[in-house]
Amino acid sequence: MAALLDVQDLSKAFGGNQVLQGVSLQVRPGEIVGLLGPNGSGKSTLLNVASGFAPADGGRVLLQEQDITRLPAHRIVRHGMARTFQLPSMPSRMSVLEVTLAADTRHHGVWSTLLRPGALRQAEAQALTRAHQLLDELLLTPVKQNAASALSGGQKKLLSIACALMGDPRLLMLDEPTAGVHPNLRRDIVQTLKRLRQQGISQLIVEHDMHFVREVCTRCVVLDRGQIVADCRPDELASHPQVIEAYLGRQAAAAAQAPTAKAA
Amino acid sequence: MFQFVLDVLIRTADLALVAVGLSAVYALVKFPNVSHVQYAALGAFLTLAGQRLGLPFALAMALSCVVTGAVAVLLNTLVFRRLLRSGPAIAMIGSLAVSMVMVALMLGVAGSRPLRYDFEIVSPLVIAGARVSHAQAYSIGAALLVLGGFAWLLYRTPMGRRMRALATNRALAEATGIDAHQVTNLISLISGALAAIGGTMLAMTSDVHVNLGTDLLLPVFAAAIIGGLGNPLGAAAGALLIAVAETAVTNLNFGWLVGQPLAFLPVTYIGAASFLFLLVALLFKPYGLFDREVRRV
Amino acid sequence: MFDFFIHAVSVAAIYALVAVSLNIQAGYAGLLNLGHIAFVGVGAYAVGIAHHLQWHPGLGWAMGIAAAAVLGFFMSRLGRNLGADYWGIATLAVAEIVRTIALNEDWLTGGAQGISGVTPLWSSLDAGSARWAFLATVLLVLALAMGLSSRLGAGRFGRALRLLREEPALATSMGYDLVALKSKATVASAMLAAVAGAFLGHYISYVGPDFMLASETFLIWTMLMIGGLGHVGGVVLGAFLVQAIYASMPFAKDWLGIGSDVAGAVRLGLIGCLLLACLLWRKDGLVPETLRKL
Repeated sequence: MAALLDVQDLSKAFGGNQVLQGVSLQVRPGEIVGLLGPNGSGKSTLLNVASGFAPADGGRVLLQEQDITRLPAHRIVRHGMARTFQLPSMPSRMSVLEVTLAADTRHHGVWSTLLRPGALRQAEAQALTRAHQLLDELLLTPVKQNAASALSGGQKKLLSIACALMGDPRLLMLDEPTAGVHPNLRRDIVQTLKRLRQQGISQLIVEHDMHFVREVCTRCVVLDRGQIVADCRPDELASHPQVIEAYLGRQAAAAAQAPTAKAA
Repeated sequence: MFQFVLDVLIRTADLALVAVGLSAVYALVKFPNVSHVQYAALGAFLTLAGQRLGLPFALAMALSCVVTGAVAVLLNTLVFRRLLRSGPAIAMIGSLAVSMVMVALMLGVAGSRPLRYDFEIVSPLVIAGARVSHAQAYSIGAALLVLGGFAWLLYRTPMGRRMRALATNRALAEATGIDAHQVTNLISLISGALAAIGGTMLAMTSDVHVNLGTDLLLPVFAAAIIGGLGNPLGAAAGALLIAVAETAVTNLNFGWLVGQPLAFLPVTYIGAASFLFLLVALLFKPYGLFDREVRRV
Repeated sequence: MFDFFIHAVSVAAIYALVAVSLNIQAGYAGLLNLGHIAFVGVGAYAVGIAHHLQWHPGLGWAMGIAAAAVLGFFMSRLGRNLGADYWGIATLAVAEIVRTIALNEDWLTGGAQGISGVTPLWSSLDAGSARWAFLATVLLVLALAMGLSSRLGAGRFGRALRLLREEPALATSMGYDLVALKSKATVASAMLAAVAGAFLGHYISYVGPDFMLASETFLIWTMLMIGGLGHVGGVVLGAFLVQAIYASMPFAKDWLGIGSDVAGAVRLGLIGCLLLACLLWRKDGLVPETLRKL
């Protein structure tokens, strides 16, 4: 089965700091891949380069077998990839509903508004229905008319997922979707992501929360200092020597290798 | 040839002091203060007022520096700090409004006719075949002296160190106990004084008129941006570059281009030269020629 | 006296048109264009040059609108990632370059003298009727522009611009081409401004480089800030308010017995203070933009 997202030998440096060193990974249709690693390992950078928010120094990124390496971010979105941000910043003078509607980018030009009002009205009506539905699924209906910036951190993450879904993506890339989120809301996010997988939306999720990863991900990729050190199932993570080394250091890894090692 | 060099130096002296002050303050307030050039005009007018009241020229200029510096501090404290809470764009528009009020005051008090300082008529000096008036010579000398003094302040005094610390990393500097408001006020005072000197020098070599500040706007900003806003000495280098561009543009004989023995660009295109420079600078090196900072995407 | 009133309203309506045009850039998209007056000047000069070359005035209008669109496109593409305030200075520089060219190229623009004797609109009517006809025409076009601008602002274009203004990264992640959006806003704004410029050229029957002084852009910005950035009705209100101050100056001057320099100073100072007051105490203007209920 051809990979949905194929990252080949990606390199990226900031100043003198080589953040990504020849990273290769794949996301196949139907997978939820967790991207883990200690702070500074390059997880967010990988996401940024793959989604076009930072230029790659070397390597290729293929989406549905199309080379998107040099494409600008807004064009990549049109190819079926959507992403969220680690710290979602929302506008203060737009309501939650309006922000969601904005995510449907059809007919937003000057000519469309002036010369094709009918087509625009139709698109707007469709978008409104879809927006209401998405906001409902993500439990944001009670705050629909509130200013988007007034939402709590967790709600903003849900809103950014709603916006990402408005574009009907095949691949959803999430940057720490549960960081700083209330446990109740966290549960809802977990349910949502599982449901999305059943609807055919594959996912690449940068995460720290091990419980979340075990609940949701079908596969885990671990980065350490710009290189992939593990690619395994979530239940294999705790005993994987390179993973332990990355998070806890070489001595801990050596200790874990001893016969009396306990599962984390 | 030497005349060319002299013309460049004179123009540099006109621009440098104002540009350096602008750049220094920008390092601390982080918004382009369009009214800064009006301090130059204000300084020129105040020196004239002092002279008309009977004070010797040097004293009049010194007082003008003090008053202009005070005005700069007042405006910074009462107006710009408040506007900055709404963001640099609003602060910039605010500085536009302040410019309008300052020009209006000068227009109302002094009228629209150009005025001149009261100097004895002395024949100009002749150095290496080039003519330079005493005023122009003083202008260049004063600029060099003042710039040297400012550089000394910036790099050899504790206050200068504090200013540079604030400019580089505000949060960290404040955490070490540096009083941002105090430093900003002091730099505002100094830059206002610098502008006053620059304006007076410029008026010395031409005249005092209401549009003195506005005419300086784009060349000074070009110089400051080319040198890197926030890099005061870079602004002096930028002023030199702008002066070279302006002088070259109108002194170069383009006859060979159009097949005539003599063909010069009209004098009014001097302005266009610095504006073009500014555009090119903004397009290719918005952080200035001397930019060494690595910026994360 | 009544004639003066018609005159004042006509000029105010033209400036209101310019304000509505700048609002598309500044109010909707948050673009700090300080060289907007260049578009007005281009529209006016196109009409003047057409008259000078004895072409059909319609050709002048078309040329002006097209040239303004090109200039607007150029301005919008200046520097990919230039911060808002830096871009503002760049637009100021472009406008000054345009003005300098107009000042120097006598063969085309009449240099400092400008082009005079531009045929007024409705010249086939007698003077009195022509004034009324002109006023009616301008007010009609203004109403049309206000309607179109409101429609743009309330629709998807306006929504995209607002998002661009507040959260550009979010907008990009949704698939919006930010540079293209900015260009669309600037070009639309420029074309409307050129229409206003053409009206101005016909009305005063004269076109000169002083039209494009930087101080004119600041005047328009004052109208926008006073009236409320983003709100079409507000900016028109701002335009009429500022024009009222301007128009009443000659009377104040005679009444108070002050010289023309002082009168000019008072006018400028008043506008500056008004702008400053709006920025300090009412950043959103007299008629602020509110959250839209959908």
